Amino acid sequence: MSKEVGAVVSRVGWLRSAQRIAAFAAVRIAGLFVTVAIAVYLTIVIANMGGKVDELRIVQIQSTIAEAARANPAFASMPSDEKLKLIESQVQNEIVRLRLDQPFAERSVDYLWQALRLNLGRAEQMHSDSGSREVASIIAERLPATLLLFGTAQLLVFFSSIWIALHLSRRYGSWLDRIVIALAPSSAAPGWFYGIFLILAFSFLTPILPPGGMVAAPPPEDPVEYALSVAGHMVLPVAAMFLSSIFISIYSWRTFFLIHASEDYVEMAKAKGLSSSQIEMRYILRPTLPPIVTSFAFMLIGLWGGAIILEQVFNWPGLGSLAFRAIGFRDTPVIIATVVIFAYLLAVTVLLLDLVYAVLDPRVKLGGGRS
Amino acid sequence: MKTAEAIEHGTGTTAGGVAEEPLLRTEGLRLHYRAERGVVRAVDGIDLSIGRGEAVVVLGESGCGKSSLTKALLRMLPRNVATYSGSVWFEGRNIMSLDDETFRREVRWVGISMVMQAAMNALNPVVRVGEQVAEPLRVHRGWSNARALERAAEMFDLVGLPSDFLSRYPFELSGGMRQRAVLAMALVAEPKLVILDEPTSALDVLTQANIMNVLKGIKARLGTSFLLITHDVATSSEIANRVALMYAGQFVEIASAARFFSAPSHPYSRLLMASVPRLHDPRPPIHIPGQPPNLLDLPVGCRFASRCPSRLAACGDPPPVRRDAAGNVSRCWLEDGGGGSVARDPR
Repeated sequence: MSKEVGAVVSRVGWLRSAQRIAAFAAVRIAGLFVTVAIAVYLTIVIANMGGKVDELRIVQIQSTIAEAARANPAFASMPSDEKLKLIESQVQNEIVRLRLDQPFAERSVDYLWQALRLNLGRAEQMHSDSGSREVASIIAERLPATLLLFGTAQLLVFFSSIWIALHLSRRYGSWLDRIVIALAPSSAAPGWFYGIFLILAFSFLTPILPPGGMVAAPPPEDPVEYALSVAGHMVLPVAAMFLSSIFISIYSWRTFFLIHASEDYVEMAKAKGLSSSQIEMRYILRPTLPPIVTSFAFMLIGLWGGAIILEQVFNWPGLGSLAFRAIGFRDTPVIIATVVIFAYLLAVTVLLLDLVYAVLDPRVKLGGGRS
Repeated sequence: MKTAEAIEHGTGTTAGGVAEEPLLRTEGLRLHYRAERGVVRAVDGIDLSIGRGEAVVVLGESGCGKSSLTKALLRMLPRNVATYSGSVWFEGRNIMSLDDETFRREVRWVGISMVMQAAMNALNPVVRVGEQVAEPLRVHRGWSNARALERAAEMFDLVGLPSDFLSRYPFELSGGMRQRAVLAMALVAEPKLVILDEPTSALDVLTQANIMNVLKGIKARLGTSFLLITHDVATSSEIANRVALMYAGQFVEIASAARFFSAPSHPYSRLLMASVPRLHDPRPPIHIPGQPPNLLDLPVGCRFASRCPSRLAACGDPPPVRRDAAGNVSRCWLEDGGGGSVARDPR
């Protein structure tokens, strides 16, 4: 035996893990796709008010064309019945072009198919900063801004609170621990609430940071200066989100670690003569990672929900403020497209979480079978 | 071989009047906890020695401080420690005086390892069993993963587990297998002393017998010393060289296994032995009336006095610790433990 034992053990283990995770991923992807499809279809039906919006649209088309005809001097001398016929035919053309003559149920399935393929169509009123009417390019322009801002804030909150919580769970009852407990209720207020005060304090009372936007106007030519400008604009919104969630995260994870630090296998690890950091990493953090990652995901979802107001407060050109404006304009394609993007982002997050679980926790399996 | 002879005679510490330095010797070991209503004197002046290759069984009721004794020996202290004092001589040095880092590196697992009371949950659920068994070698000896796993495979063989179980996760093992794996883990770094804290109490009778057989085999093959902590008189009799009976934080009797199981001297020992049901004895087992004293509020005198059938006036004062020529110890005012009137004749 000897030498090969270790190698064989690790190879067999690796193969088993890979098979397990592949099967798990396949079933989860199928399930999540169905979920996304249902969510998007519901949004299509709701955003079109179950087809009622079509009637509004037909009336709108009729009045627009009639208005244009009335204002057009070329039509002024035309006999009125001929003019009406011309208007009628133009209206019919427009209805056929927009496929409003077909039943909504039929079109809604087509919309769904297009939406799921990320074929997002054209906006009715809005356009991108570069002037495009394509919803895809409007969103593509906004998505990086949202991911940059929220990704930064979430990662900061996630890693600093885990680190501080582990630290505090070993200094249970210290003054630092007490301060964090006392500050935990501060997370009852949302990020935009802190944002308003931060803007007041750091942009107006002591004007050292920009109150909103993503980059200075006009944007700096030099890429380094551009990045610095974006970073400067990110400080306040990131600080607002950080303030609103850091204390409650530290508090809950510190409590969580305290509970898990009294598991028998942690005691065993101590008896085995492992150092504090080895115990923390392998025996406290490692077995508790699935629940930690779960609450991370919940936080992600929560922050996406709050993004509309926070982006409005900081005038951040992200998906949240895009959705806010689209609702104001009743721009159905843009509303549906933002929902589609959110649905896909959430589904991908959930899928990644599931995969991470399967990697982190060998007990996560599909169908209960032993591989 | 004086040591070997000493073990043969079940004394462990002395043979023919010549003092042998035992593997482990505690002097006045104390571990008290702070509680809301006072101080819990869980371990209250323990003097115990364990010879090389010897198996000492600590018997006692629940709550008498048995598990706190293991905590005190391995310095696995909870937050609310009030007193932690005394000396523990292990391989010739007082390990109580070591700083935490030295204690961790030089005593834990490589010197003294343990099998926990709740061994079912003693394995990290998300790490392969083999890695956990091999871990002490990597941590304490700096061995490579492959080399440590190879050693772990040998240990699995020793405790009767197939080596392909190394790549399994704890949840893929039955209770008995897990207990064997934990035992393999306790032995992997070749400690001089293994503390077994109720190693079989969570297992069914058949598995208990299996584990005890494995322990006996290991003791014969490796010469490891064992400190077995249990409340199960029957199981302990299978492996014990010496028995120490604990009551309310102190030892009331320490005797060779032969002596303890046939003719115990302390009244509590007699009652305890009489309470064990026996197959070929028509008399029903005796029930010990009363309850052990509250560790928060211990009497000044003999701690067993309130339940003792041979109680004397002197029992209101702390009883003397009597030690006979063979090294048997009894903490009682009675010269001979009160005669044979209490217990039924064990033969």
